[in-house]
Amino acid sequence: MDVQYIGEHLWPGRLGHFFVITSFVASLFSTFCYFTAVRTENDLPNSNKWRLLGRGGFILHTVSLISIFVALFYIIANHLFEYHYAWEHSSYSLPGEYLLSCFWEGQQGSFMLWIFWHCVLGLVVMGTAKSLETRTMTIISLVQVALGTMILGFYLGDDIKIGSTPFTLLRDAMQGAPIFQQANYMEFVKDGNGLNVLLQNYWMVIHPPVLFLGFASTLIPFAYCIAAMWKGDYQTFVKPTLAWSLLNGAVLGTGIMMGGAWAYESLNFGGYWAWDPVENASLVPWITMIAALHTLLIYRSTGRALTMTMILFAVTHLLIWYSTFLTRTGILGKTSVHAFTGDGAALTYHLLIVIGVLLIISLVALIARWRSLPRIKSEEETLSREFWMFIGSVILFLSSIQIIITTSIPVWSPLAKWITGKDFAPPSDVMQHYNNIQVWVAIIIGILSATVLYMKFKNTDGKALGKKLGLTALIALLMAAGIAWGQHITAWQYVLMLFAACYGIVANIYYGIVVQKAKFKKLGPSVAHLGFATVLLGILLSSYNKHPISFSTAGIPMDFGKKTQEENAKENSENVTLFRGIPVAMGDYFATYIGDSDVAGKDRRIYYKVQYERKDTVTNKVIERFMLYPDAFINPKGQQGLSANPSTKHYWNRDLFTFINAATDRSKTDTSTYRSHIVGKPGDTIWLNNGYMVFNGTNKNDLKNKRYVPAAGDEHLEFSLKVYDLNNEVKEINPVYIIKDRSYVSYVEDTLHELGLFARANLLIKHNDAGKDTVLTEILVRQTDPKDDFIVLKALVFPYINVLWLGIIVMVFGFFISLGDVLSRKVSARSADK
Amino acid sequence: MKKTHIVLLILVVAAIATIVTVFSDFSTYETFESASKEPGKTYYVIGHLQTDKDMIYDPKVDPNHFTFYAKDKSGNVQKVIFNGEKPRDIERSEQIVMMGYSEGNTFHCSRIQMKCPSKYKKDQIAVGNKS
Repeated sequence: MDVQYIGEHLWPGRLGHFFVITSFVASLFSTFCYFTAVRTENDLPNSNKWRLLGRGGFILHTVSLISIFVALFYIIANHLFEYHYAWEHSSYSLPGEYLLSCFWEGQQGSFMLWIFWHCVLGLVVMGTAKSLETRTMTIISLVQVALGTMILGFYLGDDIKIGSTPFTLLRDAMQGAPIFQQANYMEFVKDGNGLNVLLQNYWMVIHPPVLFLGFASTLIPFAYCIAAMWKGDYQTFVKPTLAWSLLNGAVLGTGIMMGGAWAYESLNFGGYWAWDPVENASLVPWITMIAALHTLLIYRSTGRALTMTMILFAVTHLLIWYSTFLTRTGILGKTSVHAFTGDGAALTYHLLIVIGVLLIISLVALIARWRSLPRIKSEEETLSREFWMFIGSVILFLSSIQIIITTSIPVWSPLAKWITGKDFAPPSDVMQHYNNIQVWVAIIIGILSATVLYMKFKNTDGKALGKKLGLTALIALLMAAGIAWGQHITAWQYVLMLFAACYGIVANIYYGIVVQKAKFKKLGPSVAHLGFATVLLGILLSSYNKHPISFSTAGIPMDFGKKTQEENAKENSENVTLFRGIPVAMGDYFATYIGDSDVAGKDRRIYYKVQYERKDTVTNKVIERFMLYPDAFINPKGQQGLSANPSTKHYWNRDLFTFINAATDRSKTDTSTYRSHIVGKPGDTIWLNNGYMVFNGTNKNDLKNKRYVPAAGDEHLEFSLKVYDLNNEVKEINPVYIIKDRSYVSYVEDTLHELGLFARANLLIKHNDAGKDTVLTEILVRQTDPKDDFIVLKALVFPYINVLWLGIIVMVFGFFISLGDVLSRKVSARSADK
Repeated sequence: MKKTHIVLLILVVAAIATIVTVFSDFSTYETFESASKEPGKTYYVIGHLQTDKDMIYDPKVDPNHFTFYAKDKSGNVQKVIFNGEKPRDIERSEQIVMMGYSEGNTFHCSRIQMKCPSKYKKDQIAVGNKS
């Protein structure tokens, strides 16, 4: 059947698809040309020609990719819902600032973002790699070919589909739906599906680009390492690899923690880190990158640890692909809360092939050069920087292995089931599982990160070292003891971690100021390590003493197998129900649910107004009062229930973190009815459930009720009633009575949400016995039962969480100082630092 | 043997020891029946929500108490008590993964993970009226 469809805009899609193919072919071409340039290296003029062609190919690839972005953005911004991507991820009501987020929600858009960053970084490498350009660019272009296939949407026969294009039409994506038998189906597709509400957050506009830049920048050190082994030149690659891995440490670290900040601000799993598989998948490459960075430093200064460096950089980039595999194929389905829904089997095999190819390239290079990789025969001194730095890198690597093993349970469990017959599941307490192991990594790395700076490469004077470190350790011990006592930190391994963090802070500050004389250029390592130690301290303080303050006392006691009644109760009841207007004690506060915003605002959220009061325990005077507005999307994207966003009160030393878990669905629960009250003259009183109101007269002009806009032919009368609640606060309510076109009666209600009060006005004509008509004023009042209007709230206190954020900023700053230092050095290989 | 090698050996041994102990941390997927053999021990049970049976969540009584019935993979239906708020969208879930322990005839669960219909199956077209 061939239908001529009406109302479709096909040219942006065709153009986009054309650029998808161009960009793919260009990357293929670039790979081939650069590769030939390497092979013809001995014939320089010829090789240079190929190199120029390779550059041209890569530039064309970049230009085409940007054109794909423009085409897709055009489709999304113009709401062309005939395209599946626009229909799936956007809608008319989506606020403009989130149009970009539509890119990241979908599989293809985020691949495009990844390719885009590779293009940008590739262009920089093209301009700076010099003698390694042909080889690094061969690798980079090859990876672009692999990524390009992901958005190709190319059919091999009927069953095999390679990648999926973002320009698929809605009617092609959902073939067979009856609606597409109509030529004018576009008239029925009124609106798109809309963006997942969790992504409608400013962090989600900025977090994915930064994270993907972090992912992308692991490719460059990888390309340099392969290029170095390919050429057998182990000097030239050191400086650029070091610079790129410093950039990577900064950007990927920032990206990961932006994800944490997003989780903290807009997800309600109660924190910034949950050891969720998706989080782990991006943390692990960062850890191995940091390990690789340090072994490279060892190589630069002593010539040792080259093999380990090569392995770690290769592993880091492979892990990026592995984490893509984990998060996008849906393999984590059972274990992760926010893994992307998968494209299924096709993508799984596709990614496995790419990982296989990259793994083979790395292995071939390593095996071929294994014997010729320069090594140093002699043994390093025990008191040398390289020895302990190497140990530190190995520990980081082991730490990443542990995280990857637990995260990959769904990957290896079928095999384990086949062997042992057991169907393995993640640990029942995931947080505790990771914390119990990684706390030791934190302790060791925390102590090493400060100590190694005091050591010199090659050898160190033990006595001087002991003196300096003894002093800092003493200060750190006092500091840790003070904090442990003040913050009630008692579990001994966490006390050790506290000491490691304090030691890291004290020793790095001392080192930066006293040993390095605060010379800015040289401060990179001590600032980055100071930041890391501060992060450890922040994590410890905010997580160890994180506690809910919203305990419910209404609960049915349940035994959770905990030791004490208190612990059981805690498990039981971290949610509390707040009925409108009734204060509930929560920690130091009294929380009162005041009311909600009733109708969703422009951002389509309903806001819940909750007042917090802190009272002086002796005088009972209110010393602090503030409002928090946790909000929620009600029934988002056609789902049932609500999707909540937290609202947080920030103090310098703690955060009060609150979110809604449930709220009343008024349409179902509000059963209150209107009651009639007749008022005569001003001053007449109507009694309410929790107060009273006084009739204050009427007026025709100067209307206060904003909901009523007078229309032509209206006769109207506004009634004024003063409402007094239990605290004798006065508010006014102004129902309007209207006669339209002298023929029929209408009204406009007024409401007071704090009291759940609805008022309507009416005029009644009464015939009395004398045959005379009198006009009576009737006020119809409805008050929702406060028991019918409630929210279920959870409130957590995070102490000293700002220490964590501060630490991350300091650490990233340290990376950039080091980067500046590396770039400003003329000689790359083993010069300074001795 | 070099010092580095000795230290590496120690670290690798420590790592293997850690990983072996890590394995004892891992839980397993069970059915209601196999979980009930060891009451009080935490397992994962994969099942489906029984939408035709009662789902009770009344925050006015207790905001941390939600009960429902689920059918596990071997077809047994059991009552489940969840100590938390009713998870959003649970009615639409294709499959639920419950973490908890068995006690008597009920399964007490402290975490529910829902598998919702995948993006592509969820696709429905809103057909509006011709205006």
